[in-house]
Amino acid sequence: MNRLRLIFAASTILASAFGAHAADLHVLNWKGYGADEPWAVEAFEKATGNKVINDFFNSEQEMLTKIRTNPGLYDVVMINAAFNDQATAENLIQPIDTSKIANYGDISAEKAQSPMLVKDGKVYGVPWVWGLTALAINDKSFDTPPTSINVMWDVKHKGRVVIRDDAVEAIQFGAIATGQNINDIKDLDTVKAKLTSLMPQIKTFWSAENDFNQLIASNQIDVGTYWSGSADRAKTQFKLPVSLVIPQEGAVAWLDAWSIPVGAKNVAGAEAFINFMIEPSFYTEWVTKVGAPVSANTKAVAALPEDSFNRKVMGDPEVAKRIQFQAPITDAQREAYLKAWQELKVNVK
Amino acid sequence: MAGQRRNEIGRAVPLLAPAYLWLTVAIFLPLSAMIFFSFMTGLPNTGKPWSFTLQNYAAFFQEDIYWRLLLSSLRLAAEVTFWCLIIGFPAAYALAKLLKGRMREAIFLLIILPFWSNGLVRIFSWAMVLREGGLLDTTLNAILPFKISIDLMYSYPAIVIGLVHSYVPYMVLTCYLTLQAIDDSLIEAARSLGASRWQTLRRIIVPLALPGVIAGAALIFVPVVGSFMEPRILGGRTGTFYGTVIEDQFVAVFNWPLGAALSFILLAVVLVVLALASPVLRRATS
Amino acid sequence: MTRLLEWLGRGFLGLLLAFLYLPLVIMGVMSFNRSPFYQLPIDWSTTWYSQLFANAQLMSATWNSVTIAVTTTIIATALGTAASIALFRNEFPGKRILQVLLFPPIAIPWLITGTAMLVFFFWVGIGRGPHAILLGHVALALPYVIVVVSARLQTFDPQLEEAARSLGANQWQVTRRITLPWIMPGVIAGALFAFAVSFDQFVVSYFLATPGQATLPVEIYAAIRKGFTPEINAVSTIIVVISMALMLLTARFFSFGGER
Repeated sequence: MNRLRLIFAASTILASAFGAHAADLHVLNWKGYGADEPWAVEAFEKATGNKVINDFFNSEQEMLTKIRTNPGLYDVVMINAAFNDQATAENLIQPIDTSKIANYGDISAEKAQSPMLVKDGKVYGVPWVWGLTALAINDKSFDTPPTSINVMWDVKHKGRVVIRDDAVEAIQFGAIATGQNINDIKDLDTVKAKLTSLMPQIKTFWSAENDFNQLIASNQIDVGTYWSGSADRAKTQFKLPVSLVIPQEGAVAWLDAWSIPVGAKNVAGAEAFINFMIEPSFYTEWVTKVGAPVSANTKAVAALPEDSFNRKVMGDPEVAKRIQFQAPITDAQREAYLKAWQELKVNVK
Repeated sequence: MAGQRRNEIGRAVPLLAPAYLWLTVAIFLPLSAMIFFSFMTGLPNTGKPWSFTLQNYAAFFQEDIYWRLLLSSLRLAAEVTFWCLIIGFPAAYALAKLLKGRMREAIFLLIILPFWSNGLVRIFSWAMVLREGGLLDTTLNAILPFKISIDLMYSYPAIVIGLVHSYVPYMVLTCYLTLQAIDDSLIEAARSLGASRWQTLRRIIVPLALPGVIAGAALIFVPVVGSFMEPRILGGRTGTFYGTVIEDQFVAVFNWPLGAALSFILLAVVLVVLALASPVLRRATS
Repeated sequence: MTRLLEWLGRGFLGLLLAFLYLPLVIMGVMSFNRSPFYQLPIDWSTTWYSQLFANAQLMSATWNSVTIAVTTTIIATALGTAASIALFRNEFPGKRILQVLLFPPIAIPWLITGTAMLVFFFWVGIGRGPHAILLGHVALALPYVIVVVSARLQTFDPQLEEAARSLGANQWQVTRRITLPWIMPGVIAGALFAFAVSFDQFVVSYFLATPGQATLPVEIYAAIRKGFTPEINAVSTIIVVISMALMLLTARFFSFGGER
C-alpha cells in the first residue's frame, strides 16, 4: 500500500515537472458545453499541466468541416455518436487506447459498446453524456405544461415558436410529430408537409444555446425544440424561466462522445482530458453549478441526488420507452434531409 | 520615339511589378482557379479521385431553390439601394448646398465616421434595438400614451434596416462629391430665368448628380447581393439568401465545387450590373 | 422659403445622424449592463470590461487584427504609392488595362474574393492563417491606395520634376524632395484607407482564418453565432472610441469635407 502511495506521489511530481513545459491541448466542442467551463479548465490544467485551447462549432456539419480543413490541429473533439461513422469513414478520427482512460470502465456497457462507436473491436469514441432534443417552454407562457408535441402547431403561439436550424434535427423532429421512426423515415413527404405547416408559427431558427436563452430572457418565445442539458443550464446557471417537456409522442435522444482526430499532436493530453470529462467529480460539479445532460458514467449519475432531474426523469423507464436514440444516417439520407430543409427555409420567404 | 517608349516601360516596371504581382497572386489567380474549380467533382488535394463535371452548374439551373434565392438576393439589394438613395441623396444635397463652413465639415465627418467601427458589431447592435422588449419597443412605449408592440427583429425589414444603416454613407459620399461640384451660379441662373425649384432640381441638379448616384448605387448593390452575415444575424427564419447558401457550402456542407460554381454565377451577375452602370459613369467622366 | 429649406435640411441631417449613431450608442450602453441577455432596466457595471482583459482569446485576436492591419498598411502604401508614381510618370501601351485591373478587388463582392482565395490558397499550399490573411488584405487595400494617391498626383505639375532635373537632381532626389512631399496628403489618406480596409475586414479573414489565429471581426462573428457575450460590446466600444478619435485627429490636418 505504501509503495502504491509512493508511486502515486512520484507520478504527481513527475506530472508537475512536465507541467513546466505545458503542452497545448486543442479541444473542439459546442460553446458553453462543459469543456470550456473556466473552473473545469483550471482544474484540468492544474492536474495535468496541459494548456486547454477551446474552439467551437455550431453544427455537426461545421464540426466535421473544421476537422477536415484543419488536419493535425485538434487533439480532442466532441462528436455526436450518430456522426461517428461518417468521421471514421472519412478517416478523420483514430482508434482510442481505452486502457489509458481510467474511468472508461465505469461507463455503462451498453453505451461503451455501442456499434456507433466501436468498429472492428476498435473504439472510436468514448461516451460522455446523453440527452434529449425535446421541447422547452417559457414558464411565463403556460399555466400547466403542455404534454403534446402539437403545442408547436397551436395558433395561440403563432410567431412565438422556435426550432433549431439543423436539417437532420428538424427532419427527425418532424418524424416524431408524424409518428415515425426517426432512423427509418418511410414517408418523408408527410414530414415535409408537417414542417411546412409549422413554418408560419416560427419566430426564428436558433443555432447556439445562447440564441435560445436570449429569446427566453427577452420573453419573445413560448416554446421551442431544445436540448435537455441546455434547458437545465438555462434554469440552473442563468436563472431563466425554462422547463423541459418530453412530449407524449416522444423525443430524439443522442449520445455525445469524445474522439481523437487523426494527426492529433497531444494524444496523451487528449486521453487525460477524456478521462477528466467522464470523472464523477467533474460531472457533479457541472450539474450543480451549471446544468448538464446525463453522464454516460454510471458512477457519475449515481453521485447525483436521487430526486435530481437527470436521475428521476431521465432515468424513468416510462420516459425511456418514449425516446428514440439517433442512429447514423447514410450520405443519401443526409443529402435528402439537407435538401428538404433548405427548400422549407426558402419557401417561407 | 519608340526608344523613349521602351525607356518608359523600363522605368515603370520595377515600380509597378510588386503591386501587380501581389494582385495577381491574391486576386486574379484565385478568381481563375475558382472558375476551374467549379467544374470539378471534388477537391484535388484531399487524396480522393476527382474529375471534370458540369453538375455544379446543372444544380443551379435544375433546382429552382438556387435561382429563387439569387432572385431574392437581387431584390434585397435593389430595395436597400433604393432606400439608401431616398435617404442619402437629400442628405447629400442638404450637406452640399444648404450648409457651409465648419458645420458642413463637421457633419460630413460625422456621417463617414461609423465606417471606422466594425460592421458586424453595428449589425448586432440593431438586434438589441429592434427586438420586442428591446430599446425601441421600450422607449416608444414609454413616450406614447397607447400600447404598441414593436418587434421588427428576425424579419425582412430588419435585414433592410441593418443593411441601409451600413451602406447609406456610401450614397451620401458619392452624391455629395458630385453635388458639390455643381456650380451654384448655374442654379441661380436657372432660377433667375424663371425655373421653379422643382424644375431646377429635375433639369439641372439631378442630371448633373447622376454619376454620383450611379456610383453610389453600384457601391451598395454589389456587396449587398453577396451579403450573408447581415441576413443571418437579423433575418431569423427569413434570413436564407444566396450568400448564406454559399457560406454554408464552404464552412459547413463542405461542397466547395458547388460553392465555387454558385460564387461564379454571382460574379457573372455582378459584372452584368456593373456593365449596365458603366456607360453612365463613362459619360460623366469624359 | 430658403430659410425653411435650410432648417428642413438640418433637421433631415439630424435624423440621419441619429439613425447612424443609435446602434453605436446602444452598444456602448449595453457594454455597461450586467445582464448577459441585455435585459432592461440596465444594471450598471464594468464587469464586461474586466472580463475582456482576462479573455486571452479575444485579446490575442485584437492583437492579431492590429498587427495585420499595420503590416497591411505599410506594405500596401509602399507598393501602391510606387505603382501610382509609375502610372503617372510613364506612358506605355497597356497602361489603361493596368488601371482597369484595379477595379475587380474593389468591385467584386468580398464573398467571391474570399472564397476564391480560400480555394486557391488551399490548392497551391499557401494554406490559411495570418500569412494568408495578410496576403489577402494587402491585395484588397492596394487599389484603394493607388486610386487615392493617383487622384492627388493629378494635381501635381510634372514640370516641377523637370525643373529639379534640369538643376541636376537625380531621379531619387527628385522623387524624395519634390514628388513625395507633394503627394504626402494623398499617401496618408491612402494609408488610412488601407488600415480601415484591413482592420474592419471580416469576410475575407473569415474564410482564411484558422482556429485560434483569427482576427477580431472573425472572433466577433463566432461569438455572435455561438454564444454572444457582452465582452464583445466592450471591446467594440473601446475600438470605436479609439478609431473615431484617430479619425478626428487626422481630420484636423486634412480637410475631408473639401472646402470650396
